[in-house]
Amino acid sequence: MITVSGKNFAWREGMTVADLLKEIDDPQPYAVVRINDTYVSRMNFENTFIPDGSEIFLIPMIAGG
Amino acid sequence: MPDFKLKEVKTLTYDRPAVEKGYTDQTLYVNVSDSEISIKPVDAKTKETFIGGKGYDLWLLWNAVQPTTKWNDPENEICIAAGPMGGTPIYPGSGKSIVTTLSPTTASVIDSNVGGYFGPYLKFSGFDALEIQGKTANNAVIFIDGIDQKIQIFETTGLPNDAYALSAMLTEHFAAGKPRSTSVVSAGPGAKNTLIGCLNFTWYDVKRKRARYKQAGRGGIGTVFADKGIKAIVVRWDTVTADTNNPADKSALKNVAKLHSREIVELDPKQNEMARIGTTHLVTIMNDHDLLPTHNFRYGQHREAPNIGQQVYRRLFDPGFDGCWMGCTVACSHGVKDFVPLTGPYKGEKVFVDGPEYETVAGCGSNLGIFDPHTVVEMNFYCDTYGLDTISVGTAIAFAMECFELGLITDTHTGGLSLNFGNRLGALELVHQMAKGEGFGQIVGQGVRKMKEIFAKDFGADVETMRDIGMEAKGLEFSEYMTKESLAQQGGYGLALKGPQHDEAWLIFLDMVHNFMPTFEQKAEALHWFPMFRTWFGLCGLCKLPWNDIIPEDNKNTPEPAKVMKHVQWYADYFSAVTGRKATPDDLIEMSESVYNFQRIFNLRMGFGRREHDAIPYRAVGPVTEDEYVSREERYDNQLAEIHKVDINGKSTAEKIAILRNFREEQYEKLKDAVYKRRGWTSDGIPSLDTVKRLGIDFQEVLDLLDAHGVSS
Repeated sequence: MITVSGKNFAWREGMTVADLLKEIDDPQPYAVVRINDTYVSRMNFENTFIPDGSEIFLIPMIAGG
Repeated sequence: MPDFKLKEVKTLTYDRPAVEKGYTDQTLYVNVSDSEISIKPVDAKTKETFIGGKGYDLWLLWNAVQPTTKWNDPENEICIAAGPMGGTPIYPGSGKSIVTTLSPTTASVIDSNVGGYFGPYLKFSGFDALEIQGKTANNAVIFIDGIDQKIQIFETTGLPNDAYALSAMLTEHFAAGKPRSTSVVSAGPGAKNTLIGCLNFTWYDVKRKRARYKQAGRGGIGTVFADKGIKAIVVRWDTVTADTNNPADKSALKNVAKLHSREIVELDPKQNEMARIGTTHLVTIMNDHDLLPTHNFRYGQHREAPNIGQQVYRRLFDPGFDGCWMGCTVACSHGVKDFVPLTGPYKGEKVFVDGPEYETVAGCGSNLGIFDPHTVVEMNFYCDTYGLDTISVGTAIAFAMECFELGLITDTHTGGLSLNFGNRLGALELVHQMAKGEGFGQIVGQGVRKMKEIFAKDFGADVETMRDIGMEAKGLEFSEYMTKESLAQQGGYGLALKGPQHDEAWLIFLDMVHNFMPTFEQKAEALHWFPMFRTWFGLCGLCKLPWNDIIPEDNKNTPEPAKVMKHVQWYADYFSAVTGRKATPDDLIEMSESVYNFQRIFNLRMGFGRREHDAIPYRAVGPVTEDEYVSREERYDNQLAEIHKVDINGKSTAEKIAILRNFREEQYEKLKDAVYKRRGWTSDGIPSLDTVKRLGIDFQEVLDLLDAHGVSS
């Protein structure tokens, strides 16, 4: 089990950030996701595996700075 | 503690007006040349047109200076203002002061916004704005005592020069046992001996029992302050509650404040964690996207960037509440406790360092090829305590380092310093030299534009190369984002009124990462709306972070998610609740348009503010050197072949650089055309007559100025 922005979500072996974003079917074009204390950018979504028990946060970086 | 003396020169007692709907409707004038102190009313037209904050500052400055006024003339002013919402303790991010002056590096108007308690305390003491004119040789301290209702000017001797010690000492001296009641504005020796000085504004950290500070960094405001012979400005005020600003509709204010405050408490931990790590999360994110400036903006990425990223500062920052104004739930002003510098006057002593923020990490770290967090923190500490802007210091040293590596200057010119990228002790030595006004640091402290002149004239350095790699525009050093692959952000920097600071527009992710604005017209629309809305925060005494750095969870379902319209509506409600002046989101944009166009015209008055002044160095647009091109060869080759339909077979790297440059420079000029049209400006970048009339800034002096530049119909 993992949490995604505070909500429980089923985890499976080999799940990547890209897999997760497909499964949650969120229309927001996320460029950054945080896994616990680590920020992961879009170009690394495909090759970043999510550990079981992780807290995932979807970062809507659009116009900060 | 040093033995210091304060000799009273002038005292004015006054009757403090009640704050009414966020305003006191009067400003304070102090001239340190002849110790004049006076109080001026604010008329209805000024209030309606300029709103407050930066708007008030600009109007006061406009009326104080002439087109011929130089930054170090006595008539130049430093203006400081909060704004109608400034000082509201229940709405996040409501404690900003906005500072303006004529800049030593741009020779035109500069503005800088800063946290700390000064602006709110100034207003509650009875003044919507403060203007300081004149010069003195007497190390003046100006004391605004809102409790005892008196303004005093002191001559001083024996006070320390650096802001770290000075802030602590003056807080203790003036606070009468209640240090939270006091805010101190000061510069430092670096501000005096360079052109890139900042101002430090304090807030009192009750838990840590110390004066903390934030910086009004950009454009050398601290240098003007030091040149005026002012040691410090101190303000004293009493308890602050939601009633202190006397809002028109307290119930409506409480409702909207609660919504925004609670949302931040809920969502910040799920998003950027600014209450824990400030803005340092940006370091690795920018690095991933090839946007983190390294080696004087040559590249946007470095394998060692995580060494100065958020995971390091998560450990270094002292946990606790770090709000630079009361009640702010963003609370991002973190610091490092018990830091021990390895160099300089505080070598071996434990100090508290306020920061670093992202800009300092990038400017004094990656852009110098330095990936050691200890050095970044030490640079941060000494820049603050010397009164130096960390952004300009970083960008200026980066330029000097690249000139050194290219052989444009040698160790003969640098006083023996080998200024290769990554030279940590060399960078720190330059900062110490800036503070003393000695050695090569004294030259670097003149800023990039002056350095280019000196290197060419005195050292014979190549002018064209320096024009391409010297990261300044309008005389201001670039802040710390790469723009080569974002045409919109090139405009965000190049078309910014004061010079390349990202507070007007930060469009990189929208443009480059999300590709939300593929056409010139879409980019121009963004370069209209975003600078206008961001300007509005400066009119009202607000921090913009709560607007779009913490995003509502349902924002993605709105028609224009980039604008975060739910929050924009909250800000309109907030303005209405405080001032009693009913406002819609469109009204907020129109308020800003008036002030924004007035500032553009102010630039014109000072001899700038036209198309030619919106130029940017090619380093901000594309690859200058063969190394830069080759490092991203696939990207550039693809762009030439697929977008520009160029047959690149057989072409040398130098030829490809030249072709790409033509395309990109042409695009930037087209962007200018589109933005000027959207903003209601002429093709030379001057607001049209229709625009100034529509915005109510058609003062006779403005009309005469436009007429003198051929804008009359």
